[in-house]
Amino acid sequence: MEQQATLDLLYVAAFFLGGLGFAVGPFIIALLLAPRSTRNTQEKTKQLIECGMEPIGDAWIRFGIVYYLYALMFVAFAVDILFLFPVALVYNRAGESGLNVSDLQAFVEILIFVGILSLIIIYAWKKGVFKWERKIYNPR
Amino acid sequence: MGTQNLQPAIVQFAQLDKLLALGRANSLWPMTFGLACCAIEMMATGASRFDLARFGAEVFRPSPRQCDVMIVAGTISKKMAPAVETLYDQMPEPKWVIAMGNCAISGGPFVYEGQYGIVEGAEKLFPVDVFIPGCPPRPEALIEGILELEEKVTGSRRWPRVEVG
Repeated sequence: MEQQATLDLLYVAAFFLGGLGFAVGPFIIALLLAPRSTRNTQEKTKQLIECGMEPIGDAWIRFGIVYYLYALMFVAFAVDILFLFPVALVYNRAGESGLNVSDLQAFVEILIFVGILSLIIIYAWKKGVFKWERKIYNPR
Repeated sequence: MGTQNLQPAIVQFAQLDKLLALGRANSLWPMTFGLACCAIEMMATGASRFDLARFGAEVFRPSPRQCDVMIVAGTISKKMAPAVETLYDQMPEPKWVIAMGNCAISGGPFVYEGQYGIVEGAEKLFPVDVFIPGCPPRPEALIEGILELEEKVTGSRRWPRVEVG
């Protein structure tokens, strides 16, 4: 029993080393077989941008968050639409769907649902999401 | 500014190098990069009718870091030359350059006394391995250029030579 456990552990170790070799091996092979330098004309080999143009400043800058809020609004309404799909399936035959609701009731219910969700717009409006201006974080 | 000295690999075996050359020659990755009308012919070469994929060179890469071959397809204007040189610098070894069309060979029809806008040939910027004449060269010519390059890499021609006439 003890021997079996040791053997199992050895298997795990062997597979672990095999996996590690499989992952790291190619890097080592490439390091050994690849030429150690690149012929170049303008010393631009290490330039990060790969389209040939001079990079304008650093990539590590603080981006405006305006579009992010806008995108969140889109997500909210995308989910809204998602909930409306099953409604659209049964809406035309609300009376006979076995849900025991009348047509008028179904209409009012969907109106309330969409109405409440539409309040998102007012909320975002009040918060100033639709105004395309830079939000400046002020710690004071 | 720049160097053409190449530090060789740490480990080198003649047979292994031959094997690597064979692999490289039959799966050349060109760069998606066109400068002028020759690029249209280059696109046609990559598309289904002429089908560069038959020779393993259809993987046009959008990044110079993944490329083996730079096909200079078109006129190099002096404004564009630094960008082309940057792309050449960013390609890892081993790398080859094909000058496609008369503009890339010598400046083509744009060469006249006192012209100030055109680099007269890709070889003014960096060494070129294969020249493909034509204005623009037909797709078959580009394929032949690729085969020429394969021959240069491996030292022997894999495909039959097409006889004229």
